Amino acid sequence: MFKKVLLLSVVVLFVLSIGFAKPVTIQFMTFSASGDSVKYFEEMKEVFETKNPDIKVDVQSVGFEDYFTKLMTVIAGKNAPDTFELNYENFYTYAKKGILLDLEQQIESSGFEKSNINEMALKAFKLEGEQYGLPFSFSNVVLFYNKDLFDKAGVAYPTKDWDWEDEQNAAEKISALGPMTFGIFQPIQFWEFYKIVKQNGGNLFNEDRTEFTLDTKENIETLQFMVDRVLESNVMPNDAQLAGMGDWDLFLSGRLGMLVTGTWAFPTFISDCDFDWDIAVEPGNTQKATHFFSNGLVVSKNTEHPEEAFKWIEFLSASREVAKIRIDSGWELPAVTYEDILSDYVSQTPPENRKAVFDSLDYLVTPPVINQFAEMADIVTRYLEKAKYGELSPKEALTEAQRELSKKIELE
Amino acid sequence: MNHKRKALSKKIFFYLMISVLSFFILLPFFWMVSTSLKESKALTSIPIQWIPENVTTEAYVTLFNVFPFARSIFNSVFIAFAGTFISVLSAAMAAFVFAKIEFRGREILFGFFLATMMIPGNLVMIPNYLILRSLNLIDTYTGVLLPGFFNAFGTFLLRQNMKSLSDSYIEAAFMDGASRLRIFFRIVLPLVKPALTTVTVLIFMGNWNAYLWPLIVLTSKEKMTLTVGLSLLNGQHGTDYNMLMAGAIISIIPMIIVYGLAQKHIEGGLSVGGLK
Amino acid sequence: MVSLNKKRKVFDIMIFLLPSLFGLIVFQLIPFGYSFFLSLTDWDVLGDINFIGLTNYLNLIKSEEFWRVLWNTLYYMIIYIPGILIVSLGLASLLNKRLSGIKFYRVIFYIPVLTSWVAAALLWKWLLSPYYGPINEIVNLFGMNGPSWLYDKNWAMPGIVLASIWKDMGFFGLIFLSALKSINPTYYEAAKIDGASNINKFFNITLPLISPTMLFVIIISIINSFQLFPQVMIMTEGGPHGSTEVMVERIYKYAFDYYKMGYASAFSWILFVFILITTIIQLKLQKKWVHYES
Repeated sequence: MFKKVLLLSVVVLFVLSIGFAKPVTIQFMTFSASGDSVKYFEEMKEVFETKNPDIKVDVQSVGFEDYFTKLMTVIAGKNAPDTFELNYENFYTYAKKGILLDLEQQIESSGFEKSNINEMALKAFKLEGEQYGLPFSFSNVVLFYNKDLFDKAGVAYPTKDWDWEDEQNAAEKISALGPMTFGIFQPIQFWEFYKIVKQNGGNLFNEDRTEFTLDTKENIETLQFMVDRVLESNVMPNDAQLAGMGDWDLFLSGRLGMLVTGTWAFPTFISDCDFDWDIAVEPGNTQKATHFFSNGLVVSKNTEHPEEAFKWIEFLSASREVAKIRIDSGWELPAVTYEDILSDYVSQTPPENRKAVFDSLDYLVTPPVINQFAEMADIVTRYLEKAKYGELSPKEALTEAQRELSKKIELE
Repeated sequence: MNHKRKALSKKIFFYLMISVLSFFILLPFFWMVSTSLKESKALTSIPIQWIPENVTTEAYVTLFNVFPFARSIFNSVFIAFAGTFISVLSAAMAAFVFAKIEFRGREILFGFFLATMMIPGNLVMIPNYLILRSLNLIDTYTGVLLPGFFNAFGTFLLRQNMKSLSDSYIEAAFMDGASRLRIFFRIVLPLVKPALTTVTVLIFMGNWNAYLWPLIVLTSKEKMTLTVGLSLLNGQHGTDYNMLMAGAIISIIPMIIVYGLAQKHIEGGLSVGGLK
Repeated sequence: MVSLNKKRKVFDIMIFLLPSLFGLIVFQLIPFGYSFFLSLTDWDVLGDINFIGLTNYLNLIKSEEFWRVLWNTLYYMIIYIPGILIVSLGLASLLNKRLSGIKFYRVIFYIPVLTSWVAAALLWKWLLSPYYGPINEIVNLFGMNGPSWLYDKNWAMPGIVLASIWKDMGFFGLIFLSALKSINPTYYEAAKIDGASNINKFFNITLPLISPTMLFVIIISIINSFQLFPQVMIMTEGGPHGSTEVMVERIYKYAFDYYKMGYASAFSWILFVFILITTIIQLKLQKKWVHYES
């Protein structure tokens, strides 16, 4: 009798211990859960935890400015979070230095459906053929324009076939409307530069990225075009004329005809613009080139819970629920391929021409990611600034930039 | 009669001048208040819009939704008070030694104290994090407060003031058989009350505004301090200035209160030297 | 009796210094020593640590950038230090008067210290704006042409100095105020009887008596100036073309953006040495003008 009771209690305890298995907690560090977006993250977390009752997620939000300082400190302290967010530019370095978990094994064992994710976005987070991250969002840069100003200046709206000349003509006519009105704003810095040179057939590097090619004829022409807008025709305000005002705010004030900026501006413009506006694919010169940005989700190599970690980032990246939350809230685009969700996005207005977001993908240019990315960007920007202020001619600026880059930056 | 008029007009001129100065001093603060009451629209516009189009408190309200705002205020209060107490006491004790107890190598040690103020903070951040980690103090208030036992700034300022105290008081008390501890608490501290108050106020503000260290050490949302919470408002593509200013203003209020309260203690100290 | 006293003295010293020493050794000296070790490596924070000896230091001294940011920092200091001393001491004197409501004004003048640099920088950008700003408008009233301030590589740093003085004057004003309050009024009474003028009183009584505090303010503002950072980042981002780039900003970039922690550590160490030397000079000079009453 006693033996039977003992046996029974052992079995009961065994069953109970399975049923009440302690939930696994995984950490997730992110810079996207800031400001307004916090509540969306709470939603996503709830849906996930309901679907996966034995996994708890500890969301650690950090403001973008200090995100990498904190991330690097905790990694140096061997305390990396299980999962975290990385923007595309930094992903390369982290992957190369062996911080990230190779996801191939998890992808196989979990039956992850690759076709649900945008192919380009997925490829962006591969290193040497292996998948190290899943895309969380992607965004690109388009030409925003103020329809009311265009009407006032009597200029036709930008189309897909516009080139630099069309853009410049429109800018001049709109600038002529008044001393405080400007035709276009496209910041003269590294991010714009590496893309816009491609619109003229130029490039920062040679084919296999072993050398810098900054002072080519095409690049110099491009910089001249950008700088002339400020110094010659003044269709673009110089820094003193801006006086610290943000470019978005300039557009919102109704004094800017065209603005080249990211699709992440949609929510702000939708709520705050009191004039009609729309978007178009960015005009090129000899060809088109548009930006592609993406934020990715990665797993730390030393995580103790690779399976659960992968489940979480898979959920954030590919699930319909998250995609829907993103679209409904006007947040950045999820990198998914679900037709119904995407057509939902396109059908929302303003802007009318949302199709341009997807058209732009045909001409996309990814950030030129190398190990010393930030250093390169800062050096180039410094010389671009000198050209912008008229201190150096575009030719001089690019020649000197070429010299400094070749000296300081190692290309593999 | 003339004399009185001259004094009066001098007074009036003084008040006028100081009020005009105050106005200009406060301009950025006015902007902060004004911005915090604006809607989320075009907040960096030039020319500056001093009076909001539609006055709204939505920025303040939304703040409470972005992160556990109320809780973070409480956390900041706790850390500020605890940290200030630790730092001021520790610094005062050290200052006493550097000012009044001679020993060989004292000036060299004091030099080390000073030297630490010259160390760029973010340099020692990673090693300090590693140390905390090995002590298992990550994400704890203890971890945040522990470095506060050393405060070169407070030690320096108090040492300067204590050095000016006449030795006669201390010697007299010594003769009477008082312990150094007693002398420290009963004689020295009261004599440096203005400086002590100043140091307390300044350290309090430093702790209240402490940012990078709590950011790195604390990870739990409930432990977050106010300044760290406000930093969440800067996103990848921009910042909501109205909320940031609303948070900043709420953050300033306790400090203004502390500063205002401290005013009378800056006055009330016995004169240095105690010639009486 | 004597040896007992000595033992007592040693014991007392230990007790009084213990908390500070604990913090000093654990959270300052050890990390600082570790950072020196790091300065001899090419650590990128994420990967391995490789010893490379003095390479970082050599590269640093050879770089154009190092000398440029050093010069920028010194340029800032030359204008800022005299400025802040005069303004904050003047402010403290003003606020020292026994007039009703003076406490209210003391709080007001402290508010800039409490204002966030984000707000302050935005405002100062507008104040110094060559097109829209009131400062140039006032300058123009006097018949001169206002400079482009933050957009002119020679005037950007002075612009930052102005904003910094505005922000810091309450801080140092408070410190000076407490020093002024500590002066025994009998000194002034005696001087009044002797028929001394206000200027006389100021230079012969006030200044000498607050000289310990003045030394403190000078040293602290020198140390702070070498570590100039937030206002530059927000107001000019190091521009126009590098004329307001300062050391700490570069150190930060190398450490956390360029993955060059070793180089950043070396940079910090050189910065530290500069500050150390300047401070030692100040401390040596103090014998000439600082009076400790006892």
